[in-house]
Amino acid sequence: MDDGLVIRGLSKVYHTPYTGEHVAAIEDVSLEIPPGEFVAILGPSGCGKTTLLNIVAGFLPPTRGEILLNGRRIQGPGPDRGVVFQSFALFPWKTVLDNVAFGLKMRGVPRAERERIAREYIALVGLEGFEHRYPHELSGGMQQRVGVARVLANHPDLMLMDEPFASVDAQTRMTLQEELARIWEARRPTVLFVTHDVEEAVFLANRVVVLTPRPARVRATVDVPLARPRLWQRLVEDPDYKSLVARVLALVRDPGG
Amino acid sequence: MRRVRRALGWVATRPAVQTLAPFALLVGAWQLMVALEVYPRAFFPGPGDVVRALGSLTYKGILPAYLQDSVTRLAVGAAAGALVGVPLGVLIGVHPISYRFFWPLIIFFQAIGDIAWLPILLIWFGFTLTTMTFVIVYTVVFPIIFNTALGVRTVPVDVVRAAQCLGASRARVLWEVLLPGALPNIITGLRTGLGYGWRALIAAEIIVGTSGIGFMMFDARRSGSVVEMILGMILLGLLWYAVDAGLLRPAERATVERWGLVRPTG
Repeated sequence: MDDGLVIRGLSKVYHTPYTGEHVAAIEDVSLEIPPGEFVAILGPSGCGKTTLLNIVAGFLPPTRGEILLNGRRIQGPGPDRGVVFQSFALFPWKTVLDNVAFGLKMRGVPRAERERIAREYIALVGLEGFEHRYPHELSGGMQQRVGVARVLANHPDLMLMDEPFASVDAQTRMTLQEELARIWEARRPTVLFVTHDVEEAVFLANRVVVLTPRPARVRATVDVPLARPRLWQRLVEDPDYKSLVARVLALVRDPGG
Repeated sequence: MRRVRRALGWVATRPAVQTLAPFALLVGAWQLMVALEVYPRAFFPGPGDVVRALGSLTYKGILPAYLQDSVTRLAVGAAAGALVGVPLGVLIGVHPISYRFFWPLIIFFQAIGDIAWLPILLIWFGFTLTTMTFVIVYTVVFPIIFNTALGVRTVPVDVVRAAQCLGASRARVLWEVLLPGALPNIITGLRTGLGYGWRALIAAEIIVGTSGIGFMMFDARRSGSVVEMILGMILLGLLWYAVDAGLLRPAERATVERWGLVRPTG
């Protein structure tokens, strides 16, 4: 069954042992991402969108509801869902090549084969020549390219991205957004992309899901029918892009819920 | 003139010169005190006397034999301590049930110092390598346990999660992520543990008293040979420096500094 990601009635309640409080982070979220689609989850800081991603990744258990990926119920983290972290989370003791080849190594792919595949993805993210560098020798933007290549090389059914470009400078961020759009257009991975940046969400996604402040509920879903390839130079002048951004921004800032 | 200054500058930046300069100053001050005869020569021998004692003890074969005994004891004890300490530290660092089980035991036995074990060890094992090894392992193991446990617990959670979502099993996470991530702390544990172990060894040699640098120093008391005591003290410092510079520092440079986990120390 190749029906992508299906989230039904997902809720998450945190228990704080120090105060005895129960805090609702997510309340009754339902969502579907068909294979090959790029969905951005947009919400204000602290709204529970990262919690949502962590539950889909299998890092946290849900309180209620179910999550299916291609018909299989999610239980714990697995290589069918690759995560790109805001903190990059590269392995500092491994070179770029070994970082990108890590998932293949875990699957028992022989060294020569996994290095060939890793080199292909290193080239895809534009890092040829840096194969034998260690992560601390790279800039933040380059490190996150490694983070993206590391996930793509492992061929997950779903790529989860948790504000991946939030900790790089503004110019690098725009370059990385364009490159991610280019890679998506070429390879069509299924992506769930969490961000608080309205323009980033509209620029990248086919569909933007706007969440309410804590506890997170789905406030609205906005389709983004903008033409591809998407490039900043073209979109900043595009009236459709501008009106979509204005519409999504109004939804994010709407205090009424 | 400029060429002379440049040559002096070159000499001053040599690593060997930078290492030896502070010691040269120390020896100079020592020699000065001896030359001024601040204290009687028999109680306060000079650097020259110590070098002569080094020569004669080496010639008699006593010093090389004792050195070998001490270093072997430390090496055996340290290796055994690391073999016990690192796995135990990892276990209590990652496994809450093991932590609850072992922690009270570790704290309890840590309080019974290495020297406090000596009386009973001498009855059980006599004046043997077993007694010495036990004391050294006992001293070495606690800093290694504590630092290893801290190390595995401070590996960033995202890095562990990254490995998990790339398909790593628990065993692979341990081997590929937790152990290398904990290495800066493991090395610190080894360094602290070995330093304590080195001291415990000397104390044990003084009490157990069959051979070794500690024995030589304590034995010198009987013959009133201050020069041999000072020689022993100098050897202790030199040997420990050699272990650090020859073993621990290169290991650090090749791993945790290369990976950018810690800043280089220059």
